[in-house]
Amino acid sequence: MATNVGAPRLAAPAPRGMGRSLLLTLPIVLWSLVMFFHPGASVEWRSRAAATVTAVFMTVLFFMMMRTGTTYRWRRWFFVALGLLFPVGFIHGLLVARGSMGIPVEEMIAGRTPFCFMPIPTLILPAAFTRTIAFPGSIASSSHGIAVMVGLWLAITLVIGKGWCSYACFFGGIEEGVSAIPKRAQIRKIDPRWRYGPWAVLLAMVLLSFALFEPAYCMWLCPFKSVTEYVAARNAVGLVQNAIFILLFVGLVIVLPYLTKKRTQCSFFCPFGAFQSIFNKTSIFEIRIDRTRFKSCVVCQNVCPNLSLSKESIARGETLMSCMKCGACVDACPNDAAVWHIKGTDVAVKPERARLMFLYAAWAMAVMFGGSIIAEGIATILHLVA
Amino acid sequence: MGEALALGLASGPACVASCGPVLVPALLTGDGGLRPNARVLMAFLGARLLGYLVFAVVAWEVGTLAHLEPGPRMTLTGVVNVTLAGVLLWYAYKAKNVCGGNCGDKKLVTIVSSKKSRIPGAAAMGLLTGVSLCPPFVAAGFRAAQLGSVLLALLFFACFFLGTTVWFAPFAGLGCVVRNQAVVTVARMTMVLIALYYLLLGIALLTGRSGYGY
Repeated sequence: MATNVGAPRLAAPAPRGMGRSLLLTLPIVLWSLVMFFHPGASVEWRSRAAATVTAVFMTVLFFMMMRTGTTYRWRRWFFVALGLLFPVGFIHGLLVARGSMGIPVEEMIAGRTPFCFMPIPTLILPAAFTRTIAFPGSIASSSHGIAVMVGLWLAITLVIGKGWCSYACFFGGIEEGVSAIPKRAQIRKIDPRWRYGPWAVLLAMVLLSFALFEPAYCMWLCPFKSVTEYVAARNAVGLVQNAIFILLFVGLVIVLPYLTKKRTQCSFFCPFGAFQSIFNKTSIFEIRIDRTRFKSCVVCQNVCPNLSLSKESIARGETLMSCMKCGACVDACPNDAAVWHIKGTDVAVKPERARLMFLYAAWAMAVMFGGSIIAEGIATILHLVA
Repeated sequence: MGEALALGLASGPACVASCGPVLVPALLTGDGGLRPNARVLMAFLGARLLGYLVFAVVAWEVGTLAHLEPGPRMTLTGVVNVTLAGVLLWYAYKAKNVCGGNCGDKKLVTIVSSKKSRIPGAAAMGLLTGVSLCPPFVAAGFRAAQLGSVLLALLFFACFFLGTTVWFAPFAGLGCVVRNQAVVTVARMTMVLIALYYLLLGIALLTGRSGYGY
């Protein structure tokens, strides 16, 4: 029971005409203008320049998706930019606000801890039993507030399901970028049982968070504390916590993605990813395998960055529930057997229409959520260099 | 004794929360079905009752827990945590045999019962979680220590236990969760993660440090 993870073999679909591609991109152009140049937007030149660059970047990528008919490689540019630029803006904000990436306990008590989406699943049990949010942050704060983040997460998740992990998560881009560096995977055999890892971490963190009444994942296991914020250690236990963050980051986000060409943190560890998998059941968009075209080449299985295809699932004509809808399998399939699909419709009937509907939803959200983060990161760099 | 029952009922959610990380994965690694699940749960709760009663006797004999210094209390909690981590790791290791070699099967598997490790394991977990010094438990200890006889102290803790146990009834429903390779593997991995947490916490407490790093 091992999955062979070879190099991707990308098929080249017929390109769409220039005029038609531009026409299809027009809604995203308009949306980008609304998002980045609305009346309340900053008029400071660095912010304007960053917004312009981001708007052009997002529009060009979408245009290329329309023009080439492929999704994965263009989305990856956005996603890697998001993963690399999020820490830039975020860390700069922390240094300006408090002079350190470490959160002192006084800040936590004051409810000034920025909230990201990761602890959302661990908040549910304490909230259900005690009507209390077990996180030392602010509910109503306009930036990094719990209500804003939960609202955004819910809106995006209900529409694109686990597509969140490919179009909205501001952490996954780092390992996706690292996994794209080597030409071939050094580790090709991965025991598929590691796919259960995220569910185990999720169960452990939900139970421990309820027992300790604190976001256990943030306190003990989040690899991305290394590039965002961390516990301001006051004793040996604090140092151990920070050492765990760094080891997990180096191992799961740098070393293993490089060796396997997979998103190993997402595939084998991320509890939020496991939680998101549940919402693939509510999203109408999915990837299906058209068994009438399937030729047993399993290219789709090999290129999937998340090990979301197995021989059994392919035989059933579907992906595993962990599918992140990144489009790698669809782009790579030489027989057009892997197709975008809308639930309730026939498989492989007008799959491009399903792809377009998904991409409009996903990219509009990517522009709104990820685009603003990218713009903030670029503005920070401009602020630092000019 | 109504006071003990009320105290148990009121503090039940706290008990469920503190026992959940140990109990949920332990139940999920066992046999499916309500009856086998209930057997493990009963072993856990029975040993937990034993822990309560032992604590009642100690509380009554000592007279009050107010004189228990923070040092010995941390040492006691540290020892309990390290032992609990050991039991969890052992339980997770033994759980690999419960599928009777069929865990790799593509279809749902019938998990072969392995009571030799599961019942004593569940009992050990129940006993260790039963003597953890959580606030409602210490409050009950204070009250029991003020009673006139050791029998009354035992009765007080038995009623306290009864009150908290009501909250554990929903755990029996975990027997309805389908057992397959995925569920058993997830439960085992969860046990290892939780064991590592308890181990780290136990070592921190035994070396005289707080369990908090900030």
